[in-house]
Amino acid sequence: MKTIVGKVVVLGHQGVGKTSTVIRYVENSFSQHITPTVGASFFSCKLLVEDITVKLQIWDTAGQERFKAMAPMFYRNANAALIVFDITSTVSFESMQGWVVELTRNVESPMVLCVVGNKIDLAKNREVSRDDAIQYARSIGATYHECSAMHDQGVGLVFDDIARGLVRMSGSHNDHNLKVYDTENIDNIMANSSELEATDTGKEETVNLSISSIAHGNTVKPKCC
Amino acid sequence: MPIFALQRSYKYMMYATKQPSLRINQADLKCKNGCGYYGNADWDGYCSKCYRNHMDQERQRKARQTHSDQAKHQVSGFSKFEEKKRQQTDKKNKYLKSLPVFRKTSNVKDSGRPERHLDLRQANPDADKLMAEFISLYGIWGEMVRKDFFKCVQSFTTKIYSELDNKPIEDIAEMAQKYYNLYNNRVNSTQTYQEVTTEVREELLDFFEKYVMVSLYSWLFCPPSTNDEEKDLIIQERIRKLSWVNAHHLDCCISETSIEVRDLVYTAITDLLGMDSMKAPQEKLSCVVRCCRSVVEVLQHCQGGPVSADEFLPALIFIVLKANPARLKSNILYVTRFCNDTRLMQGEAGYYFTNLCCAVSFIENLTAESLNMPQQEFEAYMSGEITSVSAWESALVACEGMHQLCEHLALLKGLSDRTNSVQENTKTLTEDILKLKEEITEKVTAVLERTPLIIKPRKTPEDLKIEASTQVAAIKIEVDESQTQNNFYLQNLQIGQNNLDETKTKLQLDITPCISEDKVKASQSIEFLSPAFDAQSLDGLTPDDQNSLSLSKINYDIDFSDLSGENSVAELTPEKRKSPSYTPDPFSPIGSSCTITQVPLVPSQVEPKPKDDFVLPFLEDNAKKEETLIDKKEDNAITNLPSPIKPMTSQYSGFSKQGWQIPSIPCITGDFVSTNASQSSSQQSSSQDN
Repeated sequence: MKTIVGKVVVLGHQGVGKTSTVIRYVENSFSQHITPTVGASFFSCKLLVEDITVKLQIWDTAGQERFKAMAPMFYRNANAALIVFDITSTVSFESMQGWVVELTRNVESPMVLCVVGNKIDLAKNREVSRDDAIQYARSIGATYHECSAMHDQGVGLVFDDIARGLVRMSGSHNDHNLKVYDTENIDNIMANSSELEATDTGKEETVNLSISSIAHGNTVKPKCC
Repeated sequence: MPIFALQRSYKYMMYATKQPSLRINQADLKCKNGCGYYGNADWDGYCSKCYRNHMDQERQRKARQTHSDQAKHQVSGFSKFEEKKRQQTDKKNKYLKSLPVFRKTSNVKDSGRPERHLDLRQANPDADKLMAEFISLYGIWGEMVRKDFFKCVQSFTTKIYSELDNKPIEDIAEMAQKYYNLYNNRVNSTQTYQEVTTEVREELLDFFEKYVMVSLYSWLFCPPSTNDEEKDLIIQERIRKLSWVNAHHLDCCISETSIEVRDLVYTAITDLLGMDSMKAPQEKLSCVVRCCRSVVEVLQHCQGGPVSADEFLPALIFIVLKANPARLKSNILYVTRFCNDTRLMQGEAGYYFTNLCCAVSFIENLTAESLNMPQQEFEAYMSGEITSVSAWESALVACEGMHQLCEHLALLKGLSDRTNSVQENTKTLTEDILKLKEEITEKVTAVLERTPLIIKPRKTPEDLKIEASTQVAAIKIEVDESQTQNNFYLQNLQIGQNNLDETKTKLQLDITPCISEDKVKASQSIEFLSPAFDAQSLDGLTPDDQNSLSLSKINYDIDFSDLSGENSVAELTPEKRKSPSYTPDPFSPIGSSCTITQVPLVPSQVEPKPKDDFVLPFLEDNAKKEETLIDKKEDNAITNLPSPIKPMTSQYSGFSKQGWQIPSIPCITGDFVSTNASQSSSQQSSSQDN
């Protein structure tokens, strides 16, 4: 069985809901027993895409402008980037573009990019139109999702999409730095890699969608909208 | 101030590790030229004067050499370039050497090189400990595993050691990573490790890294070929200058004054400081992780809910600023170089370590802009123009006071608790004592009630009783003979009672012995009666101690009277007959019995003596047997006789009745019976009245 370990870095302006999105997802996936380290900004979770186990290591980053210079440290060796903005704030959208510029400039290896417009529960205050966002996502070769971390809308899809992207990347590119293991007992290796008291109590989550339904730049509509 | 103490200790440790290098022989300190002055390492071991000479010579020699070189090769450009390069490196070396710390390390290098290999094996107690640990942990996997492990370790260490001086540290780090991978492949593919479970394989990999790094720690951590230590000093100085930065400046919501938060912050700081004392990269990493978890806890405490990176990073920066860990940069570089890459790239440890790197880099590049304050203000802070009242510092002091207060309060509370308990214990103890006392008294009274203390008269042996009974019979017979006398006596007494005052009755007590003795003399039952009478007289007398002194006098008088009565035993009867109210007994016979008076004097003088003494003289040896009898008899005798002696006691009445019976038994002379009865009744009534 193949296992992919991917490092996902979450970028975005301060207060757009990066952490909330991640926590919402982690909580949903493991609603039964929330890991004690929930509340920290590092998460680890496991998904099952077809036959491939995808292990996501989600690194939250500080969104403040003053820490922008430090961001490269975080997305060094990242395999995927979750770029979050607030649909009710044009500033966050513009700021996000700045992050992306930085990101593409600093990372040479291919990455799965995923743009997320958060806070669709406040759609009446929307400042960034859906079309603008989609257009932008296409321009940087990213998928676009809209979700609401607060009301738990479409959050799962974002991460499913990332997992799929990683699987696809592991198949197509040769120069990616994804960690791909073919061993049966991948869990043990993983237990080692995050060696200090395993923080991943992740359950496997089966994704029903087929890969073909997702393509770069395509919008996957959240179920409820 | 535990933190500062810790910091100090870390600093001390830092220098302590270099301590051996300071031990230089006296001879080494002297000038190499042997001029007697002290030399200096900066001057190649010469003294200042010799060094100058030496340098002059060198310069001349070099100049000559370059000349010859130029002549030889004609290509001056290249050699010039080379010369320049060499000069540069010289300069660099000199610069490094001029730094005090580096000079020390270079000394170590020079002196320690020959025996370095020995060091690897011997002078590394940590490695030895790890070896023991390895054997205890993985010994079960067989000799082969152990051998292979140590073979790999050996090849790793020797390889790294041999390359240490030739290659820059980055290359060595790369080598180390390669070795990690090699060993990883080896563990996962070779035959030797086939039986080992995958879990243990991972542990072995970890252990390999740990073992190797601990063995090589002193050469790989902050190697002299780098300027890590310099960076350490720079960042330390930088952090010191930024001591005025507080949580507010960083937009982080740590409430500096809360006690709980302060404790958590302390924990985080301690963990961060602990990083320097660890040797293996993964141990250092685990320190970082622990520190970061504490930070997360702090934030959760301060704001509640999940902590995002937006809040985490500033908080971590704050902690780093306040902790100012020793050799921070060296530690970070060491971990990045020699920690297994997979660990750093992924996982929680990697994440937190990245955050720490971010924090350090933020501190290094910190500007007014990054603190959202005007440039002027920032500069003022940095130059010390403005000394902010740092909440942290004041909180530190205040909290320290509070902390001590709390500790003292706790101590006092404990003490008061203890005193209370002691008091309670004493209370219960006293209660117990009282209870015990009551119980004892109860028991004692119960026992006393059950078995009252009766001082019984002396017991007569059984065989004597028989004799006694025979004696009693004898007495009875004898009494018959002396009956008349007894009656007289009794009558006499009764008369006395009726007629005389109490004092006189007492006087009569003395009379009785006198009488008895006389009687004894007169009668044959001397042995039986006389002691009894004496005892009675004593009994009667002893109670009134007041009179005892005056007894002699009184007796004196009374004796006469009694004796008179005694002498006139025969005459008495007519007296008695005359009238019960006949008082002038004492006077009537005064002159008649001069000789007899002296006889009673003897008992009167004996009287003050103790009973036994008193009794014994009268008891003859052969009479002893009978004495006991008498005692038995005494009961009766006493009851009979004391009636006149102790007229006041209630006992008297009972005994008197009995007493009457005794004398009544032998009453043969019918004339007296009526008078006796009337007299006794009158006597009884009088005694009861009293």
